[in-house]
Amino acid sequence: MNFFEFMSYRMGDILRLALQHMQITGMAVLFAIIIGVPTGIAISRNAKTANIVIGIANIFQTLPSLALFGLIIPILGIGIVPSIFVLFLYALLPIIKNTHIGISNVDASVIEAGKGMGMKVSQILRIVELPLALPVIMGGIRISTVINIGTATIAALIGAGGLGDFIFRGISMADNNLILAGAIPTAILALSVDTILGLVEKSITPKGLK
Amino acid sequence: MIELKNISKSFNGQMKVVDDLSMTIEKGEFVVLIGESGCGKTTTMKMINRLIDPTGGKILIDGKDIRHMDPIALRRNIGYVIQKVGLLPHMTVGQNIELIPMLKEWDKQKRKERAEELLNLVGLPPAEYYGRYPNELSGGQQQRVGVARALAINPDIILMDEPFSALDPITREQLQKELLTLQDDLHKTIVFVTHDMDEALKLGDKIAVMKDGKILQYDTPEEILKNPKDEFVEYFVGKDRLWKTPELLYAKDIMSKKVITVSLKRSPAHAIEKMKEKGVNTLIVVDKEAQQVQKPLGVVTRRELSHAVTHDFTMQDLMNTKFETIDESMNMVDVLNFMTEKKLKNIFVIDEQKNLVGIITQSSILNVITEAVTDYEEA
Repeated sequence: MNFFEFMSYRMGDILRLALQHMQITGMAVLFAIIIGVPTGIAISRNAKTANIVIGIANIFQTLPSLALFGLIIPILGIGIVPSIFVLFLYALLPIIKNTHIGISNVDASVIEAGKGMGMKVSQILRIVELPLALPVIMGGIRISTVINIGTATIAALIGAGGLGDFIFRGISMADNNLILAGAIPTAILALSVDTILGLVEKSITPKGLK
Repeated sequence: MIELKNISKSFNGQMKVVDDLSMTIEKGEFVVLIGESGCGKTTTMKMINRLIDPTGGKILIDGKDIRHMDPIALRRNIGYVIQKVGLLPHMTVGQNIELIPMLKEWDKQKRKERAEELLNLVGLPPAEYYGRYPNELSGGQQQRVGVARALAINPDIILMDEPFSALDPITREQLQKELLTLQDDLHKTIVFVTHDMDEALKLGDKIAVMKDGKILQYDTPEEILKNPKDEFVEYFVGKDRLWKTPELLYAKDIMSKKVITVSLKRSPAHAIEKMKEKGVNTLIVVDKEAQQVQKPLGVVTRRELSHAVTHDFTMQDLMNTKFETIDESMNMVDVLNFMTEKKLKNIFVIDEQKNLVGIITQSSILNVITEAVTDYEEA
């Protein structure tokens, strides 16, 4: 059986695992947005906390993912939940960092004018800072998602499923077709998500900034 | 009316940025705070809308202590214009102007009408500019929008922090002029911060010269120019400054106070001797040489004498009787016009009691100008 025959033969499985793969990464990124964006906003008010928080997030980022998946087993066991948790940790840094950069880079004079005119802190955040930082925040979400699609293949190791299943099975059975059936859809998934989020990023950039 | 009473501000217990400063700004007055960077002028201004709270003293607006006011409500009733404009780049010109009206929940129609009215007022036709984004405007146009935005809810007070400093000289001058025209119609109480003395003199009804957190002099532009209170103010005003505004120079400022007289019967040789002795080029011919002030009969200058030394002439024959007297409060421009018009070489300056107090000759004018040029070069 050549590779293409194999692919069409396993298409059902591939689609099922790809969907699972997207669910895992999607959940992880979603949680990372929910936690990361407010954290990014909060730390941009204070340079010292910003350094500490980004430093901690950096540590998670540099830890080898394989090791982190292994370390999480004694704490959260195996399956989808610990996988999503680990992927969440990886997604966190780019989102916090970009939110922080996006908010801190808003022109100080715009903030001063807003404040001087009598805008409340919450109004400045909602009307000035967030819209102006949004493209940068979206950039962070995009990076997180794309990295996570790759990292999520390793989650199969602790029983999360996803396209990593094919890859690990292929490795243990020395079956290149199996490995490729996991790797190629992962790559396609990553590239298409990157393109789509890139378009989103562009479309939410305010007209006056283009 | 804004009253600052013994205002102090120190950051983190460090040196005082503003030090026991008191000033009163009347309603409808255009007051300029001027000084070098770090003198506390911006800090002082920002305390008026509570962007900075003073560490000591109090500020009253129309008699009410602003500490007891909600800072948001306070700021919404005070226009604020800053050097970098600070328009929201993701909103159109119209949306920028309507921002505070929107937050105050004006209805849409009213907001738009107000924005268009203001755009017209600052010389940007709404049909063309209402829907534009700030990055499509020049610096000058952006600041016009900044001024329009500050006027949006028609505040009584406007604070302006070096609003024109970043503009090119031509645009700056234009905007200064327009601001004055605007002020003639609107009569806002304006507190304007700058480091540019030309700007301060042009715009201010009153100028407060600041240094080290204190006001050195708070006066009209004219007083600041002519009677600087101390050396710093004088230095800051610039010694040459007066010459750029000759309308503020009066006859008494340019006249020579060395009024040397010579008697009608004296010889040219005697007159020349006297000129040398007193160091003057002009003598005033009087009936009799005496100490008391008296009526001048004529003038002799060195040039007229030099041709006559060998002859038997007296002052009576030589003196130029064609002279005029002017009041000491006539301004320099008028003096020069007067002299040119009447083709006069000399004018006598008299005070209110019609006493002779000085003389303006071509050489005395030359002297003051030379002095000014020397001062300018030294500076």
